Amino acid sequence: MPSDNRARAGLALAAFAALACAMPAGAQTRGGSATIGVEQDIAGFDPLIVGVYDTGQEAAAVLIFETLTRLDGSGKPAPGLAQSWEHSADFKTWTFKLRPDVKFQDGSPFNAEAVAFNFQRQLDPNNHCRCAIYVSNIAKVEAPDPLTAVFQLKNPSPNFAPILAPPTVNNVIHSPKAIREMKEGYNRHPVGTGPFRLKSWQSGDRIVLDRNPDYWDKERPYLDQIVVRPLPDNTARFASVLSGESDIIWHDRADDIVKAKKNPNVVVNEYAGSGAQVYAFNTKRPPFDDVRVRQALRYALDLKTYSDVAWEGLWKPAKDPWGPGSFVQCKDSGALPYDPAKAKALLKDYGKPVEFKMVVTATPRGRQIGQIFQEMWREIGVTMVIDQVDQTTLVTKAFRRDFDLTPWRIIDLADPDPQAYANFHTGSPVNLSDYSNPEVDKLLDDARTSGDQERRVEDYCKLAQILNREVPWFWPLDNHYFSIAKPGLKGVPKQYSDIIDLSGAWWDKK
Amino acid sequence: MLDLVGRKLIYLLPVLLAVTALTFLIAALLPGDLALAMLGDQATPENVAALHQKLGLDLPLWQQYLHWLRHVLSGDLGTSHRTGETVVHAIAGRLPVSLELLVIAQLGGLLIGVPLAMLCAVRPDSAVDRVVSGVAFGMLSMPPFLLAIVLIFIFALRLGILPATAYVPLAQDVLGNLRSMALPGATLALLEWPTILRVLRSDLISTLQEDYIAMARAKGLTARRILFVHALKPSSLTLVTVVGLNIGRLIGGAVITESIFALPGIGRLLVESIYTRDFIVLQGCVLFVAVAFVVVNFLVDLLYAALDPRIRHGRA
Repeated sequence: MPSDNRARAGLALAAFAALACAMPAGAQTRGGSATIGVEQDIAGFDPLIVGVYDTGQEAAAVLIFETLTRLDGSGKPAPGLAQSWEHSADFKTWTFKLRPDVKFQDGSPFNAEAVAFNFQRQLDPNNHCRCAIYVSNIAKVEAPDPLTAVFQLKNPSPNFAPILAPPTVNNVIHSPKAIREMKEGYNRHPVGTGPFRLKSWQSGDRIVLDRNPDYWDKERPYLDQIVVRPLPDNTARFASVLSGESDIIWHDRADDIVKAKKNPNVVVNEYAGSGAQVYAFNTKRPPFDDVRVRQALRYALDLKTYSDVAWEGLWKPAKDPWGPGSFVQCKDSGALPYDPAKAKALLKDYGKPVEFKMVVTATPRGRQIGQIFQEMWREIGVTMVIDQVDQTTLVTKAFRRDFDLTPWRIIDLADPDPQAYANFHTGSPVNLSDYSNPEVDKLLDDARTSGDQERRVEDYCKLAQILNREVPWFWPLDNHYFSIAKPGLKGVPKQYSDIIDLSGAWWDKK
Repeated sequence: MLDLVGRKLIYLLPVLLAVTALTFLIAALLPGDLALAMLGDQATPENVAALHQKLGLDLPLWQQYLHWLRHVLSGDLGTSHRTGETVVHAIAGRLPVSLELLVIAQLGGLLIGVPLAMLCAVRPDSAVDRVVSGVAFGMLSMPPFLLAIVLIFIFALRLGILPATAYVPLAQDVLGNLRSMALPGATLALLEWPTILRVLRSDLISTLQEDYIAMARAKGLTARRILFVHALKPSSLTLVTVVGLNIGRLIGGAVITESIFALPGIGRLLVESIYTRDFIVLQGCVLFVAVAFVVVNFLVDLLYAALDPRIRHGRA
């Protein structure tokens, strides 16, 4: 088995090399600066303080920091800070050989010690890190020698290498020296090994990153400077790329994206990811403790119309929570069709009037979604009241189970396990619907512990069928990620996990 | 004069106490819990309790307030739980932006409003007066976000001559800074001038009917001299009040304008601190704005005395 995996890692290396060769050397021009417009203000980068990174933090993190692995153009893991890796036959021990002669931007050396420090810090129960749940499968990380990091897992994880790839709060490697020396100040003074290093941070306005002259890959980066700007107002962010003040922006407004696609001065990058936009019913209180009501509400949703009206058809109706970008592709997910007659019959059977509140974000988008659902449910005689709240209140309500129906999100990750387990397994704090089904738990456990990828796909497809039938959650639309950029900005890879990655970007000056 | 200053200062204290205590109360009543927001998926009851204790959120509200007050009196406004940035640093970093916007908005508003008010007051109900007053009335009913978007559309997207969101710090590039402040400054100035016009116009009209103006006319002084030298100063009391109130308001940042034009000012800091339940920052901002408001209006009171001798000598 191990030799087979060494071969696999070797293959990944070869793929990486092939990718590098596919672009003729020197085609990338050096120099210039790029400005990226993200959605939210950036609070900082210390996992213990911020808990989770949003897409804006990740867009900056992918420049300042690096991860052990990265995803290549076909979504396969390629070497990052680790040059190669292998795993035990049971997928519970993963050994990473680290890249030698890599230094953090503060001059301290990158080594296995640093890898262990970063992960152990998140796992330490005394740190109460919000980030801990997504690394809960890691028992410990050891550093037997400076260039070997060994991850001991609690359960087998055949997909562990790509799981470490996205620049999330869990995966990026910080300088232990900087964290120890700066303590609480570290949050706003991030130090990594990445191709760009922090030059200045104007709170609420911009983060300026300069090229790291000591970066281990002498070829990269191509740009001299990248400016990350939080532009929370959608209209202004869109205007900023049209007028040329931003070179690339993160965006999710359907009408703007349609406009941008017709505009010759900008290009639209898009990526159909895994995961889905999801909603959780509170199955512990009426009316959603009754499966008939949940099914009726799902039968009443005409997702095609919903997609067309609210999302210009850019986000497609979802069949399961795995999504088009996932390796889990089911022949039949058992998604319920639009069938208002059946919905009415189920409600008649239920026999009581159905009234409830639906939580939405206090944004024009949230209100619009609420109104469309409200209308579709009114058709079958259900009264829904829209409860508009801000993001913090939404999270608070969700964890307190203080809701009837709440939106949530399953984001694009390399493997469904962390989120599926967190959202659907009995007793998990993020099992928002509090739905408990031994069969579901068994499938989740099997998918988590099995090393057989085909069997895992089967597990997840069976799981989707149960969840689609029992409707503790429902998933109206797939995840689709967009950015809008100037046509000259090249070298921007697929928007995995909704992260705009400019670490290898360059300007086509033609 | 010193007496006046002393009396005003005594008023200041209860005002500040009331404002900060009220903010504390309102913040506590808001739904959403900072500890839950920070812990998220890790929000087990034990973790929440531990974090509450660490942040001092487990204490009764009045104790939290006194605790905060004690620190403020020793000059420590606290540190943001969300960013680790000190509140003083956060406010200081954003103050220049809001101040600059304020100056541009007020100067712009006065430059448009005062001459037009004089033009209208000289011949009330003339065609000019009706048109100007009509436009002013229309502008008054224009919400700032709409005006901002219209300006962005025209000047940034259609004509492409001014940036919409490219804020440049003053210290970095003066010309670039002025360009980046042009649209937000214009948005606010265009919203300020109608108030200035309406207030000054009506005061000027009534001043121009005073006997001493008739006397001046009889002496053969030119209309211009009467208007500028004799009428403007006594007519500007209400105007000064309005400008003072506006300055107080704008020190807190023009929340909507700053958000749309992506200006890192106090207003945006305030809104973000509410959204993220970063109450220590919110509390610091409110305190700062309250102090600024009181101080500005205190200065306005002093200015009254300069404008109108009766106020200066009114009290024995």
